[in-house]
Amino acid sequence: MLLKRIQAAWFGIHFFLVIAVSFAGLFWLIAERSTILPSAWDNYARKAELVASWCLGKEAGASNPVRLTIATYLHAAGIQAGYTFFAPNVPNPHRLTLQLFYQDGRIEYESPRVHGRAAALRLDTLLDRLAEERYEPVREAVVKRLAFSVWREHPEVKKIRATFGSVNPPDMNEFEQGKTEIFQPMFSFDFSLRDEEQQ
Amino acid sequence: MHVERQVRLNPLHKAWNCFLAFLFPLESDTWLAVFRIGVGLQVTLYALFLRSDWYYLFAISGKGLVGRELGEALTTFESPFIPKLAWLITVGRSFKISEETVLTLAWVGLLCAGCFLLLGLLSRPAAIVAWFVHLCAAESGGLLVYGADNFMTTALFYLMLCPLPDHYSLDHWVAKTKSKDPHALGFWRRVLQVHLCFVYFIGGLAKLLGSGWWDGSNLWRSLIRPPFNLISPEFLVQFKYVLPFLGISICLLEMTYPVFIWLRRTRRVWLVCILAMHAAIGLMMGLYLFALVMIILNLAAFGVPWPITRAEAPSGQHEQ
Repeated sequence: MLLKRIQAAWFGIHFFLVIAVSFAGLFWLIAERSTILPSAWDNYARKAELVASWCLGKEAGASNPVRLTIATYLHAAGIQAGYTFFAPNVPNPHRLTLQLFYQDGRIEYESPRVHGRAAALRLDTLLDRLAEERYEPVREAVVKRLAFSVWREHPEVKKIRATFGSVNPPDMNEFEQGKTEIFQPMFSFDFSLRDEEQQ
Repeated sequence: MHVERQVRLNPLHKAWNCFLAFLFPLESDTWLAVFRIGVGLQVTLYALFLRSDWYYLFAISGKGLVGRELGEALTTFESPFIPKLAWLITVGRSFKISEETVLTLAWVGLLCAGCFLLLGLLSRPAAIVAWFVHLCAAESGGLLVYGADNFMTTALFYLMLCPLPDHYSLDHWVAKTKSKDPHALGFWRRVLQVHLCFVYFIGGLAKLLGSGWWDGSNLWRSLIRPPFNLISPEFLVQFKYVLPFLGISICLLEMTYPVFIWLRRTRRVWLVCILAMHAAIGLMMGLYLFALVMIILNLAAFGVPWPITRAEAPSGQHEQ
């Protein structure tokens, strides 16, 4: 009977955390005005998201043992991210174009590449995340590494201009009228790779 | 006075007993065999699909795509106790084993664990190894991780805690292990079932809050966006009047899953629809690993007939 009680208690805590993570994500979407709900809900959603985050220990200090324990458990159980896939709307895909400047004046265009389809899906996930505001602090570092991965295959390149942007696909009616996707640049970085090599 | 207290406690006791009866139904281990074999297949395919990119994805900066330091830094910021590939590489270094060799060994370990799970050989150690190595890879991958990884971690987490081995495994044939407690088997199946109900309810609710699921534009956008664009837009646009119906159906199917999957009359219909949806996601968008893990979870949770009656339970296993 004791084992049953322990298991029942674990069940309660585990699914409490699943609910907290899921609703934190859902309330965040509402607070960010990504949903069809009226803007009057924003404040309530923001407060509800804070409550859910508090339940997950995220309001505590970075070294708080409760916060660390919960975070470790969430990752170990694979429940750290909510289940709002492709919701509330499917985001635009993103593209990273690398303009390769050679010493002899040539210019070529490249993109970061992987071998298999499974890895390609991951690369696209990475690009979609780069567009999110919360990953802004690591953007340059990630783009620099991606540019560097291409430069290793083209060591004679002098400079790389990395342009990251969103691809707006046509809707169904626009597609029937012959319209195609539109690339909207979001940011770009110039990397001087001779300097990189010297470092 | 004593009678009054009993009357007051009875509803609480009743509720608690109902809760326990729900949590611990009698269950055979057939669902666990389906779960083990399915997760074994998933782990094996995961390792094989990433074979050519494994080192490139998880190598240190300067050798790989983005280098695993960034993903590991983000993970460490969350908690330094979350396993990552750097742990294995540090251990390898102390034995003078190179990073490349450690990563190769991790991949081989994952592939072997998947094959062992498929066969049911050393089931629990294989489940623990698969969970640990996959978690290390997922956490070191950082921004490269997507939904299939989270579901795989969850599936492996539950599998290593389940009462393994089942009686279809090689472990059972070789070591003649005893039948497991049917209540424990029932409990872990309930965990899986309840988890799926939350997954679909939240997913369906979040989709219903997006305008694009009401007019079919989200389905259009998800099917034409690279790298999911396996179907040509010219073909897809012919179904422009069907897409809104399909979009709303998906939202309703997911959101009502926690209700209709429990009702005996509607269970089969909901299960078939959900399986068809995941099969379509796999075939039409190329999300094979994501589709497979969801199909496995659904089949193990609701696909195998349930529950067994008390009389069918292995003798001597009833918890009094």
